Amino acid sequence: MATEKDVVIRFDHVTKQYKLYKNDKARFRGLFFKNIPYKVNKASNDLCFTIRKGDAVSFIGRNGAGKSTILKMITGVTYPTSGTVEVNGKISALLELSAGFDSNFTGRENIHLKCELMGFTKEEIEQMEPGIIEFADIGDYIDQPLRSYSSGMKARLGFAICVSVKPDILIIDEALSVGDRRFRKKCTQRVREIMASEDVTLLFVTHSLDAAMDFCKRGIVLEKGTILFDGDIDEAIAFYDARN
Amino acid sequence: MESIRMIIDEHKLLGNQIFKLAKSDLIKTYRASALGWAWALVKPAVRIFVFWFAFSVGMRAGKPVEGYPYILWLMAGFLPWFYMQDMLNGGAGCIRKNKHLVTKMKFPVSVIPTFVSFSHLYIHWVLLAINILIFVLAGHLPDIYYLQIPFYMLLMFLFFTIWALFAGLLSAISKDFQNLVKSITTAIFWMSGVMYNVDKIHNRAARILLKFNPITVISSGYRKVFIYKEWFWEDPVELGCFFVTFTVFVLLALWAYRRLRKEVPDVL
Repeated sequence: MATEKDVVIRFDHVTKQYKLYKNDKARFRGLFFKNIPYKVNKASNDLCFTIRKGDAVSFIGRNGAGKSTILKMITGVTYPTSGTVEVNGKISALLELSAGFDSNFTGRENIHLKCELMGFTKEEIEQMEPGIIEFADIGDYIDQPLRSYSSGMKARLGFAICVSVKPDILIIDEALSVGDRRFRKKCTQRVREIMASEDVTLLFVTHSLDAAMDFCKRGIVLEKGTILFDGDIDEAIAFYDARN
Repeated sequence: MESIRMIIDEHKLLGNQIFKLAKSDLIKTYRASALGWAWALVKPAVRIFVFWFAFSVGMRAGKPVEGYPYILWLMAGFLPWFYMQDMLNGGAGCIRKNKHLVTKMKFPVSVIPTFVSFSHLYIHWVLLAINILIFVLAGHLPDIYYLQIPFYMLLMFLFFTIWALFAGLLSAISKDFQNLVKSITTAIFWMSGVMYNVDKIHNRAARILLKFNPITVISSGYRKVFIYKEWFWEDPVELGCFFVTFTVFVLLALWAYRRLRKEVPDVL
């Protein structure tokens, strides 16, 4: 039985509501007046779970089930409406292909920018830079502004940074599904290396159930913001398949 | 009070990062164009020329002030206006413009106005140096009144950074607000002391009212340094008005921060 110390992520009765106003004007007025009508969308509904060090957890569910919202709350991009989210450790998240990139800067500059934002010193970044560039493998484009990149190239760069920073928690949201087959294979291999050699926790969101089965031991099935099933990955996928 | 502590903590957390972000914000603004950095100087130069031409040549107003040619008088007051103008609009748009920091990663929102403000301040320093150089070339050497420059610069920087926090958050929620700011910038400019000396207005109410516009106080502050050779404590009413407006915006910014900090990533 793992001890309390091993808990990397703990969700305690977490609910996340999005207020849906008719339009932006209504939202603006809603700041000042209480009586502006809005609908409430519960993207997460009373979620309770803990994830321990070294776990590999896959979040499974249809579009809009609240998978990304959970990941966003873990990374601290968005805040829960009620309940508490506790996270221990350095997170490296690949939420979207170009997360944290600035399209006016070159690939190389973006590496520095993003790593600086993650709290690395200049020396550390310079040390990591060759590895990142090698992994991304986008040739001369590394010194071109990011706006000239194809979405595949952006994803490669983003992925290269995320797996190079030696995170405690690695979050992958659909990212493995982009890029060509060779790059995908390279990514898969790298994630496996990270999982094997380091005490890393992996959170995985994908619609490719094969990939989920490949990487993860535990699966959490979500529907409309509620956890329907939390357990062994094979059972989770069987459960999910049965419902769809 | 808690909001203030959170904002300070967020700034401490980023530390030197703020200056790096300011630098990259600056580079981003100017690098994409062929003339690049020159634009930072061309825009103000054209502006001052146009106003000088319209008033001095066109309307044959614009008499020398206190022995200084009208164009020097214009420049002294316009110098801070370029920063203030950039901050009025750029401040309102700062969070929207740096959306990629808010919606895709964990980043303290309150730091965005600060680094945007710094990036405009760098330009201001360059313009200030050029302004001083022109005064020297015209035969007016720096004197003891120049010691006030840091004081007025600090007031300006603080006020507009706080404004940007308030306006940036509100604009992030609603584009209406950003458009509102854009459309009243011209009004704010003409209802301030950049183009005329507020103290010469006959109507007492209008005179006092205009002093609640911080742009008046900053602009006239720079003119005190370069033209009128007065100290800031010689006009306590003016400073008092400034601090009233300042306090109002501090409260507004804290309100916006408390109310919208968590909402902004969901809306953008």
